[in-house]
Amino acid sequence: MPDEKKLAAEEYVVRMKKITKVYSNGAAANREVDFDLRKGEIHALMGENGAGKSTLMKMLFGLEQPTSGTIVVNGETLKLTSPSVAIAHGIGMVHQHFMLVPSLSVAENMVLGMVPQKSGMFIDRAKAIELTKEYSERFNLFVEPEAKVMDIPVGMKQKVEILKALVRGAKILIMDEPTAVLTSQETAELFVELKHLKAQGYTIVFISHKLNEIMEITDRLTILRGGRSMGVYNTCDVSKEEISRLMVGRDVVLEVQKGKAVPGRPVLRVRNLEYVNDWNKKMLDKISFDVREGEILGIAGVEGNGQKELIDMLFSFNTPDAGEATVNGVSILGCPQEKIRALGISLVPEDRMLNGIAAGASIEENVISDRAGKKKFNRGPLFNMKAIHEEADRLIREYAVLCKSRSQHIGMLSGGNIQKVVVAREFSSSPVLILADQPTRGIDVGATEFIRKKLVELSRSGVAVLLVSADLNEVMELSDSLIVMHGGQIAAYFEDTSDLTDDIMGEYMLGLKQQSAEEIGRVCHD
Amino acid sequence: MTRKRQLRFTVIRSLVAILIALLVATVLIFISAEGRTFMDKLQATGEALKQMLLGPIFRFSKNAGLSFEAKRLLDIFAAMIPIIFTGLSVCVMFSANQFNLGAEGGIMLGAFVAAMVAIYLPLPAGIHPLVAVLLCGTAVSVVMLIPALLKAKLNVSEMVCSLMLNYIIMYVIKFLMNSFLADKSKGQIQSHRFLESANIPAMVNDPLFIGAKLTWGFPLALIAVLLCGLFMYRSRWGYSIRMIGINQEFARYSGMNVGKTIVLSQLIGGFLAGAGGGIEMLGRYETFSWNALPGYGWTGITIAILAGNNPYMVPLAAFFMAYLSKGCDLMATYARVPAQLINIIQGVIFLFFAADRFLSKYRQKLVVKSAEEELARAGALKED
Repeated sequence: MPDEKKLAAEEYVVRMKKITKVYSNGAAANREVDFDLRKGEIHALMGENGAGKSTLMKMLFGLEQPTSGTIVVNGETLKLTSPSVAIAHGIGMVHQHFMLVPSLSVAENMVLGMVPQKSGMFIDRAKAIELTKEYSERFNLFVEPEAKVMDIPVGMKQKVEILKALVRGAKILIMDEPTAVLTSQETAELFVELKHLKAQGYTIVFISHKLNEIMEITDRLTILRGGRSMGVYNTCDVSKEEISRLMVGRDVVLEVQKGKAVPGRPVLRVRNLEYVNDWNKKMLDKISFDVREGEILGIAGVEGNGQKELIDMLFSFNTPDAGEATVNGVSILGCPQEKIRALGISLVPEDRMLNGIAAGASIEENVISDRAGKKKFNRGPLFNMKAIHEEADRLIREYAVLCKSRSQHIGMLSGGNIQKVVVAREFSSSPVLILADQPTRGIDVGATEFIRKKLVELSRSGVAVLLVSADLNEVMELSDSLIVMHGGQIAAYFEDTSDLTDDIMGEYMLGLKQQSAEEIGRVCHD
Repeated sequence: MTRKRQLRFTVIRSLVAILIALLVATVLIFISAEGRTFMDKLQATGEALKQMLLGPIFRFSKNAGLSFEAKRLLDIFAAMIPIIFTGLSVCVMFSANQFNLGAEGGIMLGAFVAAMVAIYLPLPAGIHPLVAVLLCGTAVSVVMLIPALLKAKLNVSEMVCSLMLNYIIMYVIKFLMNSFLADKSKGQIQSHRFLESANIPAMVNDPLFIGAKLTWGFPLALIAVLLCGLFMYRSRWGYSIRMIGINQEFARYSGMNVGKTIVLSQLIGGFLAGAGGGIEMLGRYETFSWNALPGYGWTGITIAILAGNNPYMVPLAAFFMAYLSKGCDLMATYARVPAQLINIIQGVIFLFFAADRFLSKYRQKLVVKSAEEELARAGALKED
């Protein structure tokens, strides 16, 4: 039941009224959304990826401007034209990806842009450290002022971010998925700190997908779906099931039906891959595994534990320091991508906008990028336009890409439809090995379901699939067998995923447990 | 946004940019116009604008008023030939995101090579200009290998490299002319006369009727536009060039050979500039006497930007530039306004075309309108 209790206007620190935002690519991210914050509450903003949460918060923090609607902060109607205006009105944001300078100390990061000086030209480091300590104590947020940011754990980086906002006078804190990068221990710590801040009269917007956390810490919640508000509720009045239904809108069972895998011979063999990155951190440490025909091998792990580097090596965006990798017996390390593709390797890249598509080109031009040189699509020196049109139309139909026509700019499509175009291209090139790196990140439920089904379908027809995903449900649901990466190493190998639980996975993902070399060695099917 | 709205936006944006440029020009003309009183100056400005805007294709006479002049139109067509080629050259290179500015040196080198072939390599008429033009293009392509390979292999900025190359080409040509190739019997630095067989024949040449001359170079330029358009939009190489220009990482990931394509784009750009130089030289001149960069390469950059790197739009942009340049010349002759004004007009147009955010609010309005319509349509569908 929506929260009907009316309060006097002055009890609201923020009122966003009828906010609509249309991006310049034509996507409507928010439609007439109402959102308000009471003084001293922790307010959850919920919704699926792409529901418009970040957009709404970006407008409150001055990073984006609404197309229409008004924003009232402390009774004053404001035009938040930039983050500095927002900060001046006491609004601070803690981003999911930390905005810190890794090579500077914690104290130096704290005072960026407001540096205390001595003799008019030198940085007063002592004062910066003192300031950091003072705030750290006052808010019970423990940080090490003199440590370099690159050396401190993720949890502490987040505290630095929170302190940074507080030092700048923030009374309203927007926290964008603060727990996504934290361990459960760190999360518990964060919650204590947030409650402490709340007790001191601070208002917190808490963006999260995790229902348990929402139930534990928030007072009220606003749910967004497809850019519209689904209402405001007191957290104590709604059940998890209700929230879930409001967020998703239908009871989607994302359980993909898949038969038991019948693995054939190994397609991809990786042996002792090692890589040290530019900052001297060992990202891959003697990684060895096989992916067989007809199986989906999942790689689970907290992001940043070497998954990205591994995929980069396998698709030749980078070369390892040592080790080897072969596909059907042919070495692939350091080969040009032309050859990688000729060997039948497909990649659904982690960041589709970075290299998955050319946003300024049409759907058709994007979907043929790996096969434009094929005989079938050329007639002498020119393209066989008829064949290309047919191919594009066929893929748009088969992969249910929602678009006006094949000649529409791909940048105008929604994230889910863009990903469908990428997947259509990568899955339809008759691959022997598919590398799927976060294949459903940030896309809607419908597209997610579709892509997962296709992936299973292909693997059952004999394609070897290596699936990397930060979404625990996804890897556990789709994989036939699974490895966990931690600190650049394989921490565990599970031949059968059916009796795995989140708890067991969590212990390996966070490095609390490590299987024996013998157990892990079973992933090489020699 | 719908295609129709997109097109409307592009057209309106272009017109507004040109209009603003003309307004700026008007103010400058007014400042530099002769006259003691305000009214005098205003009248002089009006006269100058008339010359600039109408002069290129109309003749003014006291009794008959405005009358269309076919000769002047043909002159504009003739002036379009070299800048269509440099425009195409820049289009191809810029499409691959290669900011190669070598079309300027390229057209001079092309002209020089054409002159040498025309003087020292006797061939039968008909074949002679053909061979000359092909050799020009090839020669410039080879020279363009320098910035192209440096970029592809060592990631050297092709912009700096090609810019410097222009001056190297110019001075080498001047050195060769001064030291070895000049016709010593003449009072100025110029080559010997071209062989008759090397001339590109005139398509229209009727000195008695309208006194105009337009060579077969013009239809050749239009054919080049067609071929270039087919290459860019209908061939796998042009496709690779465009994709690399939009997102190089995407092209690499898709398995295209990025290095090779970067080189290819500059070879083709070089060929077009060189061929343009050759056609200009053999169609218009009897001796080689250029002693400075001709400026066609710079105009080519303006044209490519006006055309949005679309080869099919190049003739239109070239017509506009040739018309404007002629207009400014006439203005300088008849209204005593400095012809350099064209550079200012070019500059202003350039600025507004290159400015991404110019009229972005108007664009945003069109986007919002389209999005609303789409939402309404989606809503109506659901209710059905």
